[in-house]
Amino acid sequence: MNNWKELATIQPVATKMIVNMIERNRISHAYLFHGQKGTGKNQIATMLTKSIFCLNRIDGEPCHTCRNCIRITSGNHPDVHKIVPEGASIKKDQILHLQKEFSYTGLESNRKVYIIQDADKMTVNAANKLLKFLEEPSQQTTAILLTDNVNGIIQTIRSRCQIIALQPLNENKMQTVLQESGITASNARLFSAITNNVEDAKMFDQDEWFAQARNLVVQLIEMLQHKKDEVLLFIQKQWMPHFSERSQLQLGLDLLILWYKDVMYQLIGKEEYIIFHAYLDKIEESALYWSREDTTQILYAMMEAKKRINQNVHPTLLMEQLTLRMQR
Amino acid sequence: MRFIIQRDQLIDSIQHVMKAISSRVTIPILTGIKIEASAEGIKLTGSDSDISIESFIPKEEDGIINAEEITEGSIVVQAKYFPDIIRKLPLKAVEIVADENYQVTIKSGGAEFHLNGQDATEYPQLPVLHTDNSFTLKNEVLKDLIKQTVFAVSTVETRPILTGVNMKLEEGFLNFVATDSHRLASRKLPVDLETEQIDFKNVVIPGKSLSELNKIIEDNEDTITISVTENQILFQTKHLYFLSRLLDGNYPETSRLIPDQSKTVIYAKTKELLQAIDRASLLAKENRNNVVKLQTKENDQLEITSNTPEVGEVVEDLSTDSIDGEELKISFSAKYVIDALKIIEEEKVKIEFTGAMRPFIIRPMDNEHILQLILPVRTY
Repeated sequence: MNNWKELATIQPVATKMIVNMIERNRISHAYLFHGQKGTGKNQIATMLTKSIFCLNRIDGEPCHTCRNCIRITSGNHPDVHKIVPEGASIKKDQILHLQKEFSYTGLESNRKVYIIQDADKMTVNAANKLLKFLEEPSQQTTAILLTDNVNGIIQTIRSRCQIIALQPLNENKMQTVLQESGITASNARLFSAITNNVEDAKMFDQDEWFAQARNLVVQLIEMLQHKKDEVLLFIQKQWMPHFSERSQLQLGLDLLILWYKDVMYQLIGKEEYIIFHAYLDKIEESALYWSREDTTQILYAMMEAKKRINQNVHPTLLMEQLTLRMQR
Repeated sequence: MRFIIQRDQLIDSIQHVMKAISSRVTIPILTGIKIEASAEGIKLTGSDSDISIESFIPKEEDGIINAEEITEGSIVVQAKYFPDIIRKLPLKAVEIVADENYQVTIKSGGAEFHLNGQDATEYPQLPVLHTDNSFTLKNEVLKDLIKQTVFAVSTVETRPILTGVNMKLEEGFLNFVATDSHRLASRKLPVDLETEQIDFKNVVIPGKSLSELNKIIEDNEDTITISVTENQILFQTKHLYFLSRLLDGNYPETSRLIPDQSKTVIYAKTKELLQAIDRASLLAKENRNNVVKLQTKENDQLEITSNTPEVGEVVEDLSTDSIDGEELKISFSAKYVIDALKIIEEEKVKIEFTGAMRPFIIRPMDNEHILQLILPVRTY
């Protein structure tokens, strides 16, 4: 995605707004781009920065070959500052560094841009420090905040930024892209349901771990139906060692949710929406086992479990409770 | 790029530019030294983005050839390894070659190093010198100017603009002002400019940069040329360019802070006063404000006291040359007064008070160009 035209294919609205702003020279002092993972936030931020600094910009498109463009790509531009979370959050010190940087004049020109990735991960202290210089923007400074969770950003910051929402990618489109790159139709369908990022999807396709995860999900469903007594043992012995990271467990739950969504589609007779096409017989079996009401309850239970993982609930206990609630 | 250079010259230059290079930079390219070969000679650049130092080795100087066989070009080499390599090479002459794949070859005698370099276009582009906005000072004069003001800059970042020294050039005077909002140091210097009137008011140089500059310039009769561009200031000696970014924003108007009348005027010997306050502050250090009290007595006597209940107290009587005006009882931070007195080289000082709650002025006697303003401390 190296020019606005290409970006416009995935983010038509946002791209149009930005290009218009660049062409009319009405770049605002702060932007907040929000959209799910894989919606092109980083590309848009880089493109915008390049468009601001590029020496031979044509119709808003940066050239990618001038000194400034090259240095933005390599991270060597002295007047572009990028803040990424240090560990789990963006610390106050990182914002203080930024603040110091902005009390100085620029090294080459007075045009400055700072990009804050995962802006929702700012600590409260950091956010309030940042607020201070969002409130008094200097003429030639542009802040670009990126986040996948716009609600995680304090209201006072949001109100000072121009908020641009990026649309989630179209699943069908993504599926076609994936199939073109050699992934089977059923896999493509599954990947496009769990991620918005083409690169991630391609990685899943190669990943041994992911294949095994999918098997475990199917096994767990089978056990819930036929060998209820052994479910807890299965969780302890197989499920937990495989999904040992919280992020992995989230993915596991996502897969389970998709499964029960399929069961629901089967129950209400919308088979065309089913994602686990390869396991159609098993879905049918599940649909005979769980009623509509059961499935709804299970889906609720799983949504709740997903929330709890982020609240630091013990993962094993969480899975055990969930499987108990899933048993009829 | 290719050239052969005298190793000693190169080591000197490297040492200069290394002063600007910090290992804690956010931009990867700044961990390197930029080497630029041109027909006139070799230029090295180091920077931590706040300050940048350029050192120039002319091809030929006073009949001595420093560099030869120069093919133009530029490259960035890693500052972590390059200086040590050069220092430990066996012979006096070094050949440095860089190819289009940014591979640097360093040859001296039988030793040959291959270093991975980086593209010089990635390096920040430093502003080109504008000679029309410049003036010249003697090294030692500039060093004095820095010494007499830079100690008063603010060290807290709450008002970033106060962490710098304000440089003004107006009405034939060069004026350096620094304040941390509790005290203010100002130094004026008459300058005669040969070129047409140049004027600047709102140039604020970071205190850190000036301290660094003070270390780098040598204490001799040479001159230094100062030029200001929109976002950087350049100090230029013969072969050394020192660039610093400026502080962004408007420096507060300080001239109105300085009272033009006074109620009590004390003339005293600088050294005696300094030592007396220093002694009194020994016990004052315990309490956080470092407060020392000063009271006028009869017969031109001053009483300097300090009292920390947990530690003890100190009283010292000091005779002055003269005390004119109202009686006075005032408290102030010993540290600020000591700082102010330390930079005064004249034998005698004049202190002007305008009451116990108003700021007071310390000046060397018969020298209107140095001025130190200090705010008293309110005590009960």
